[in-house]
Amino acid sequence: MKPKACVVVYPGSNCDRDAYYALEINGFEPRFVGLDDRLDDYELIILPGGFSYGDYLRPGAVAAREKIAVEIRKASEKGKLIMGICNGFQILIEMGLLKGALLQNSSGKFICKWVDLTVEDTDSPFTNAFTPGERIKIPIAHGFGRYVKIDEVNVALRYVEDVNGSDERIAGIFNEEKNIFGLMPHPERAVENLLGGEDGRKVFQSILNYLKR
Amino acid sequence: MPIFKFAVDVQYRSNIRDPRGETIERVLREEKNLPVKRLRLGKSIHLEVEAEDREKAYEIVKKACDELLVNPVVEEYEVREL
Repeated sequence: MKPKACVVVYPGSNCDRDAYYALEINGFEPRFVGLDDRLDDYELIILPGGFSYGDYLRPGAVAAREKIAVEIRKASEKGKLIMGICNGFQILIEMGLLKGALLQNSSGKFICKWVDLTVEDTDSPFTNAFTPGERIKIPIAHGFGRYVKIDEVNVALRYVEDVNGSDERIAGIFNEEKNIFGLMPHPERAVENLLGGEDGRKVFQSILNYLKR
Repeated sequence: MPIFKFAVDVQYRSNIRDPRGETIERVLREEKNLPVKRLRLGKSIHLEVEAEDREKAYEIVKKACDELLVNPVVEEYEVREL
């Protein structure tokens, strides 16, 4: 039985299909869900990249207050796995499920390129297929990815070089229980060599390993 | 019920970097030769609320700020009646 996973489609999401495809080719049974849907059936919930509500006010701010946010909070309390990629990370931050803030890149520019990262913590449902300190290549595409660290956090990924002014070059974090993963890089865009690399696959493999345990 | 008009001025906290503000500041200083020392770019949100009195209206605005308009992690705000 393939684990059931869903991708939440917000108005303005634009990586929802990429996430769906990545789930599909990595052994999940994916579904798209809308803002009025329930999330009880899914073992993994992905909040995809994009520009929900056009980034009005602050990226993720409006989406974080949608009806679906109540469902996401419920799922997180049950220990379900939640992964927020790029705009999804911004939404999780705005919901207060992850600590810190994501502000405009220090250069003031939108950055779209492949970057080198190190996997800082492999003891999690999302990173167990990596080796500690493993160096990987995954693309980023964001204008508001500068992570501002307020409290201590579980750092999952770090940029090898400073790309956007993030504190301590943080690219991805876990919540305390490590069932929530927020990251600016796009693992769903790095699942085939045809697209430039497949280091992102290991994120999906890690989740499979964890769910099949 | 009467309508009250407010402006909410939102700014990043002083320890938070503001790349847009820095760019504008640099242009004023370097291209326009104006002795601008520090420029911070915030937001001004204008809203009208219906309430029994001024005090209740103010409470509604504060609730709007706390629940959506302001991210207290990195921003601070001031409410002005217009």
